[in-house]
Amino acid sequence: MIRFESVSKRYPEGREALIDLTFTVEAGEMLFVTGHSGAGKTTLLKLIALIERASRGAIEVHGRNLARLKHRDIPRLRRDIGMVFQDHRLLMDRSVADNVALPLVIAGIPREDRGKRVRGALEKVGLAGRGKDAPAGLSTGEQQRVGIARAIVGRPALIIADEPTGNLDPQLSEEIMQLFVGLRQTGITILIASHDLALLKRMKQRVVVLDHGHLIDDVPASQVA
Amino acid sequence: MNARAAMGTPVRHSRVAMWRRQHAWCVRDSLRQLARRPLGSALTVAVMGLALALPLAFYLLLTNLQHLATALGDSQSVSVFLKSSVAADGADKLAATLRVRADVAGVTVRTPQQGLAELAAMQGFGDAIKALSDNPLPFVLLVEPRAGADRVQVESMVAAVRALPDVDLVQDNGQWRARLDALIALGRRVTLLLAALLGAAAVLVIGNTVRLDLRSRGDEIAVQRLIGASAAFVRRPYLYEGVWYGLAAGIVAVLLVLVLEAVLAAPVRDLVASYAGRLHFGGLSWVTLGVALAIAVALGWLGAWIASSRHLARTKS
Repeated sequence: MIRFESVSKRYPEGREALIDLTFTVEAGEMLFVTGHSGAGKTTLLKLIALIERASRGAIEVHGRNLARLKHRDIPRLRRDIGMVFQDHRLLMDRSVADNVALPLVIAGIPREDRGKRVRGALEKVGLAGRGKDAPAGLSTGEQQRVGIARAIVGRPALIIADEPTGNLDPQLSEEIMQLFVGLRQTGITILIASHDLALLKRMKQRVVVLDHGHLIDDVPASQVA
Repeated sequence: MNARAAMGTPVRHSRVAMWRRQHAWCVRDSLRQLARRPLGSALTVAVMGLALALPLAFYLLLTNLQHLATALGDSQSVSVFLKSSVAADGADKLAATLRVRADVAGVTVRTPQQGLAELAAMQGFGDAIKALSDNPLPFVLLVEPRAGADRVQVESMVAAVRALPDVDLVQDNGQWRARLDALIALGRRVTLLLAALLGAAAVLVIGNTVRLDLRSRGDEIAVQRLIGASAAFVRRPYLYEGVWYGLAAGIVAVLLVLVLEAVLAAPVRDLVASYAGRLHFGGLSWVTLGVALAIAVALGWLGAWIASSRHLARTKS
């Protein structure tokens, strides 16, 4: 579960990115965060992964109060979160399998288990048998799938994705979103920042709308149309 | 359904096993990075290897100078050459006189015959000695100063002996030995200073190489941090990189010194022969070479540690 309680974020240069945000995401829920550019979507995700710290308020992620988390404990928190980026951020000089295996290497998982789990993750995103390929040889959609495989291979309870379909055409975007829906059905909590309103309407999941750092609407899945 | 149940329960592994696996990955990763730029890596190793070989070569030189000094006169003995008119009983009488002095530990009488035999044994003098019709050498007294006597006391004793009427010439072996020892001590100091300076240069060379590598892999480091890598994990491959550079440079330095020893072996053999085996030439011991290798590894690690610490402090997230 994720809980935001009166959370604000002010950057050192004085910009208020988030103002007094309060909302809760239940375990296993899928939530879209939307809003125009600069609304605070990315900042919200950064606060969850402790890439930034909140200026005020309390954030709780799976029972952990992030304000109390020490700097040295941040890597452990991040290992429990799968992160998907708009530009996928793959290591182009490594194979697909090596990219996907990276979180497992960091977690110190044995080599033989790594191989099995990488194959499983690639299968889940529809890239079975592509482990030895170089990322540069994949299409943009396939590269994003590799990014998702890397996010799920560590078996996280939470996935956060920042504009994961930002660089994809509508058909590929739909496919990637369906992947997330499939993952949600396995019980993973998923938070996706996206400005693609048409896509959000088709996905029919809960949507939180931000505007200039304020939470202006929280639409339940049943009311998304 | 619970997420973890769906994806499979994560297996808990012992911290030591995890640490070992992470290190194994970092070792492979560091070697892979070095292999990706063979020329650059080889140049770094060559520069550092030469920098480390120089103080090692100086150390080799000084060690052998010390051997030379020991072989040529390892005591403070004073050679007293008597006048040619002094016969055996005169020499014995003078030796007895000197033996009772408090600043003298012992006196050995060396006859002209003994001196001639010693000369004949030395390379190159044999034919010249055969040409002599009679023995021109005088009696010589080898005077050993009292143990623990300092230079002032020895010089005072030398002055007293020099004033004796039967004495022709007094050669104070300890004086030149003291000068040589001072020169060797200076050489050791210079070598230490040189080693420190070149060691610092090696740290800078490796630090700069690792810094450039860190910069070129900035994106990779950022991704690692975002997906949960600790600072220690991020730093580890670069520390190994420094260790490999240090190890390879240490091996280069040791090989260079061994080549130097081999090149100098023939002329030194001739020199040793001319001293009838009293002079000993030795290469650096395996322990010394091992210590040099360990220092090179430590310098490589230090350079990488400084560079990675600075980089991680700047890109803290």
